[in-house]
Amino acid sequence: MKINDALFGIVFVLVASAILITVQSFPTLPDQPYGPATFPTIIATIMMLGGIALCISGYRERAHQPLIRLAAVMKTRDGLVRMACVPVFMILYILLSKPVGFPIVVPILLAAFLVITTRNWLKSVIIAAVTTALLWLFFVDFLMVSLPLGILTKVIY
Amino acid sequence: MDVFYSALEQVLRPDVLLIILGSSIYGIVIGAIPGLTATMGTALLVPLTFFMDPVPAIGAIVSATTMAIFAGDIPGALLRIPGTPASAAYTDEAYKMREKGLVELALGTNVICSMIGGLVGVLVLVLAAPQIAEFSLMFSSYEYFWLAVLGLSCAIMVSRGSAIKSTLSLTIGLMLSMIGIDVVMGIKRFTFGDTELVGGISIIPTLIGMFAITEILRKIGELRELPSVPPVHISRMMSGVGSAIWKYKGGVARSSILGTMIGALPGAGADIAAWVSYAVSKKFSKTPEKYGEGHIEGIISASSANNAALSGAYVPTLVFGIPGDTITAILIGVLLMKGITPGPMVFVMDAGLVNAIFMVFVLANVIMVPIGIGAVLMSRHVLGIPQAILFPIILLFCVIGAYAANNTLFDVWVMLVVGLVAYVLEENDFPLAPMILALILGPLIEENFMKSMIKADGHLIEFFSRPVSGTLGVITLAIWAVMTVMHLRHAKRKHAASLPS
Repeated sequence: MKINDALFGIVFVLVASAILITVQSFPTLPDQPYGPATFPTIIATIMMLGGIALCISGYRERAHQPLIRLAAVMKTRDGLVRMACVPVFMILYILLSKPVGFPIVVPILLAAFLVITTRNWLKSVIIAAVTTALLWLFFVDFLMVSLPLGILTKVIY
Repeated sequence: MDVFYSALEQVLRPDVLLIILGSSIYGIVIGAIPGLTATMGTALLVPLTFFMDPVPAIGAIVSATTMAIFAGDIPGALLRIPGTPASAAYTDEAYKMREKGLVELALGTNVICSMIGGLVGVLVLVLAAPQIAEFSLMFSSYEYFWLAVLGLSCAIMVSRGSAIKSTLSLTIGLMLSMIGIDVVMGIKRFTFGDTELVGGISIIPTLIGMFAITEILRKIGELRELPSVPPVHISRMMSGVGSAIWKYKGGVARSSILGTMIGALPGAGADIAAWVSYAVSKKFSKTPEKYGEGHIEGIISASSANNAALSGAYVPTLVFGIPGDTITAILIGVLLMKGITPGPMVFVMDAGLVNAIFMVFVLANVIMVPIGIGAVLMSRHVLGIPQAILFPIILLFCVIGAYAANNTLFDVWVMLVVGLVAYVLEENDFPLAPMILALILGPLIEENFMKSMIKADGHLIEFFSRPVSGTLGVITLAIWAVMTVMHLRHAKRKHAASLPS
């Protein structure tokens, strides 16, 4: 996905401005002009100068660089769906793993993702179940990580 | 001698050896599968190293990456697809050898030259690192500040593409490193009132997001089935290798040393070492016309150099705490998590650990030969793993890995956001190496900068007042000047080319 440099430049200038405004409220060392704001001010200034340079180069190249150009793979339905699955998988894990529980959420999410990538239901369900079991054994039983049990907490304890 | 035995004792423990063996096999698989890079493999290892002692943790990373860099040669020679970017320089050459029926010779040479290159790199590391560390014990905050800035400047200089984009990538890393409690007065900075950010941005989810999620996003869109792999015969893998290496022994030595030096430059890793060594080898060759036609000389040079670079990167990492490449940047993150701050004091206070690291390197490079040969023989199975199954499982592993270190879902959010941002940046030619180097070096730079500013009472000339700091400062400013001139010239040429004739 190609984005015109000028757009990146604007984002960098905005972020740098926000940092420069935020650090105004930081205190300084007693009797010294330096403090927690000194270093971020220098870095934000460099960021702003770089952002301005990108704005200029993006503007100059506007004839060759459209504002946004999707990657070839994003123009195919399958490719876009598979790519979208990555953030969706993570967001659903974040939202559901605690209330519902890892042992329930993960096989469903993984199987769904595998069905999309392999288009084979049976294989997907088997792989998802085996992978979840192996990862549970490895992380919970071997490395002692406490993965959320969710609604199963009441059932088990 | 006591230090040596203590190091030996730390390495030759059954659990450590088992971890090294397991990581080696993991590294081989990661390296051999096109699309999975050594850096991504390291990032995925980090959550596991969280549960290990320092020596096995370092052993796991060293052995996995050593194997991965070699293993990248396997699909390169068999399928003309480099397993990792470090093998790209000579993929065509190796594939041409396959077409000539010499694929076993190419792969046999790869594994032996990788071992030689790796061992030369370790030798340089063992000889040079303690000497430089002893010298650098007298460094003050001025020297450390300039060293770190010099490291970041090199990272920008060697990055491919625009210097402005590399610099902006660097500023993102530095800004991320400033989140949390500041080093001067202990106040909260850029935490947005969130208690999860008070301790700073978690390194594990950031690394996984930057190097694994980006890779998954890039590859999952266009899944491909790899073509079938021809059978490989072990007997042919070893015959002729010794004589070929002996014939080009000068190239092996030159490339190993060159690779080590390139690896020691911050930001320049195994891939750049391989490209440079291949080009230098062609320049010095008596038969440059054979290059590109399936000539073993280029393969010998480049495959020695990329593994040497891996060891070379540990010189600045261990001596100054300045990472030589993205992998050592991750390693510094792991060491910091273990309460170990890399730098010259480690050589004084924890010589056993340093020697143990050296031994792990030697061990990893030596066991690369049998494991590497085994991997070539098994390549048909490894390359047969469907990517459609692999990437969803890796994604799940990333999610658990990000969650496991601190048992918080906030870290999964961090991984998601960093991954998406890094993907967009990389797709638009912003290199990620300066960002990760800056994220790791940020606290070191700020702390030494602020100490120096307070000591110097704001007089910047003091940054140049000591002989070493003055020299480093002048070198850094010279690099900036060269980069600025190069950028302006490039921009002028580009502008002139775009004008209508």
